[in-house]
Amino acid sequence: MKDQLKIAVYSGDIPSTTFIERLILGLSNTGNSIYLFGFIKKKVKYQDSVSVFGYRNTRLHKALHYLKYSFLLFCFKHKEKRKLDAILKKQSKNLLLTKVKCYPVLWHKPDVFHVQWAKGLADWTWVQEFGMKLVLSLRGAHINYSPIADKKLAAMYSAYFPQVDGFHAVSNAIGLEAVKYGAFQEKIHVVYSGLPCIEEKKTAAKQKDVFQIISVGRAHWKKGYTYALDACNILKAQGFKFHYTIVGGTKDIEFAYQIHDLHLEKEVRLIDNLPYAKVQGLMQHADLLLLPSVEEGIANVVLEAMQNTTLVLTTNCGGMDEVITDGVNGFMVPIRDSEAIATKILEIEAIPETAKEEIRKKALHTIKTKHREDQMVDQMLALYQSIYHDKA
Amino acid sequence: MTKHKTEKPTIGIVLSTVPRYSETFFRNKIKGLQDNGFRVILFVDYLEPEDANFACKVVASNAFNKNTFKRIWCSFLALLKSLFMHPKRSSVLYTLNKKDGISFKENMIQVILNQFFLKEEVDWLHFGFGMLAVKRENVAAAMCAKMAVSFRGYDLYLSPLKHPGCYNMLFTKDIQYHVLSQEMKQELFRYKIPSNKIQVITPAIDIPFFTANTTLEKKNRLELVTVARLHWKKGLVYTLEALALLKQSGIAFHYTIIGAGSEKERLVFAAYQLGVLEEVTFTGKLVQNEVKKQLEQATIYLQYSIQEGFCNAVIEAQALGLLCVVSNAEGLAENVLDGKTGWVVPKRNPVLLANKIEAIVKLSEAEKQKISKNAISRVHKEFGLIKQQEAFVRFYSEN
Repeated sequence: MKDQLKIAVYSGDIPSTTFIERLILGLSNTGNSIYLFGFIKKKVKYQDSVSVFGYRNTRLHKALHYLKYSFLLFCFKHKEKRKLDAILKKQSKNLLLTKVKCYPVLWHKPDVFHVQWAKGLADWTWVQEFGMKLVLSLRGAHINYSPIADKKLAAMYSAYFPQVDGFHAVSNAIGLEAVKYGAFQEKIHVVYSGLPCIEEKKTAAKQKDVFQIISVGRAHWKKGYTYALDACNILKAQGFKFHYTIVGGTKDIEFAYQIHDLHLEKEVRLIDNLPYAKVQGLMQHADLLLLPSVEEGIANVVLEAMQNTTLVLTTNCGGMDEVITDGVNGFMVPIRDSEAIATKILEIEAIPETAKEEIRKKALHTIKTKHREDQMVDQMLALYQSIYHDKA
Repeated sequence: MTKHKTEKPTIGIVLSTVPRYSETFFRNKIKGLQDNGFRVILFVDYLEPEDANFACKVVASNAFNKNTFKRIWCSFLALLKSLFMHPKRSSVLYTLNKKDGISFKENMIQVILNQFFLKEEVDWLHFGFGMLAVKRENVAAAMCAKMAVSFRGYDLYLSPLKHPGCYNMLFTKDIQYHVLSQEMKQELFRYKIPSNKIQVITPAIDIPFFTANTTLEKKNRLELVTVARLHWKKGLVYTLEALALLKQSGIAFHYTIIGAGSEKERLVFAAYQLGVLEEVTFTGKLVQNEVKKQLEQATIYLQYSIQEGFCNAVIEAQALGLLCVVSNAEGLAENVLDGKTGWVVPKRNPVLLANKIEAIVKLSEAEKQKISKNAISRVHKEFGLIKQQEAFVRFYSEN
């Protein structure tokens, strides 16, 4: 039995998104060796247990990277190199770049190769031919809508999902979606996102005259901000005093036009992406975090708001109903329903402060019991171990 | 226009690229002007090899669309030209820019980038879109030409939101404006542009081509159609939401969206979530003959846009006798006369759109025929190419 594993967390980019970096950080404290492969966007200081085998996006750097690993494989793993070359030749469109990406993986040969984004799965099934275990994360758009609009992608999933050794699903709902493409139910492990523990804060004093609503997330249609803005129009027509801030919503002409068209300039503000601490500060001062999305795995921003004891109103998309129970630890409305958003906001505003406080406490309890970072890391390790020992 | 600098009155039209085959508006306009004795020079930012045989003289600035070294070299050549080939015009352009408070560096950049205009002799310099005139506000004056600017929708309603204040300088100049609708004229009033400086010339279509082939049989089920690129401003998500309501009411239909664009994933997923994916076909982009064929098989044409200058596709659908339901976005309410040549529904309201479609379905054949005939007749009267060409001739002759 092997207790300490070599685990590759592959997203393509180094560093990756906040939640993947959080996973890397958590795993790096477990005594296992963590390998990162891919394109280095900027230099990051990781713990000693994390090894980075990446390349910079310059021709020279990629060439040196390629030459180094070609040489090593040629000298010491000649047969395996030939075998990989043959596989890559069959599937690849850009053979040289593919080798730049794949050779280091073959050379370092982690025990588990964890692909974070499903669309890239076809590029990495070869690792199984060399004894590595293949884990795939099931996250958001890659599972929930891209294969619906892209038949080729759906066909690729149907071809490769049955071969994957283990799936990490960010919610039960997304796991069920993956089953539609041939993923075996017993290989799907639901591991919820976890947040680092923070000091418990007293609920920040909220403004009383104007109801403050906030949304946080990139300006993408799946975030459903157009529904939120239509809801604002309904609220304004009813004379409700509110202010709505979308963090990350600038530079999007669709939202800007909708605000202009609906004369919501005084009620709605689009602001640029902000550093994490500033976003948390804005969240704490808001009366309500609104997640109007049409699709999500489980939105981390909702978990953060719950940890910050800010009330949450979310649409019932993806796995959000695994976190929020309407009226208990937050509020929930159907997707694509501006009327429902507006009505619920009016209801929330009318709730007495003591009842709101109770909901906030329950939200915090949900985070402490189901969404702790240490839980997430333990469960991910258990997934890797079970897959690896299945092999052993 | 009584006295011309050239033998024939010359119109310089400024576009980004040479109009492609499907961009009928500018092709028709250029042909119409040539047929009426005008000489046309097309100024474009980029020139493709296939543009060599275009119907008029094309002057391109794409020397700047190169790598860094070539850009520096081209800038140097442009500077030499400005000093030795058209020093007077370059100097006027520089002086006028300076008068407008443009910094030395920005001024020099503008003189270099706009050098390709200065060697030509034109009576009018007509910018095909508002944004094309930005940072070129004094070029026409430097060429001793009159200046015209067309606004087509996006450039009037959306560009100022994307680039706040982008027209501040432009709107201080002596310009004749061409817009597509009375609504757009009203929008220009908000920028304090006087009425006599604005002319409304609506788009026009090739009516003989868009005449219905009466031998084609309509399908039995309710066929709905939209021709639009897959862009948020076309309001296709709201349209799909309305169709989901229609389905819930038990009305069987099929909806065809003709057009391509970056938002296909968004729309397919919306149709999927709304439970109407089976009823919707995304054909992608089609050639004009195919578009016509698809339109001829449909009963109702939907254009439930969020923002729209005027919309040629709606005119084409009316010409073919389709029952048109449009939103009240900008020029659409002038394109379709509510209750006379079609129906206008307030935008961003899928319930109202669904109700309207349901009401149309329930109309008697005679009532539908009446609307259809009214629409065809109005298109023939108002939106023909000849009428549009005459309007442009007046635009250049009477100003």
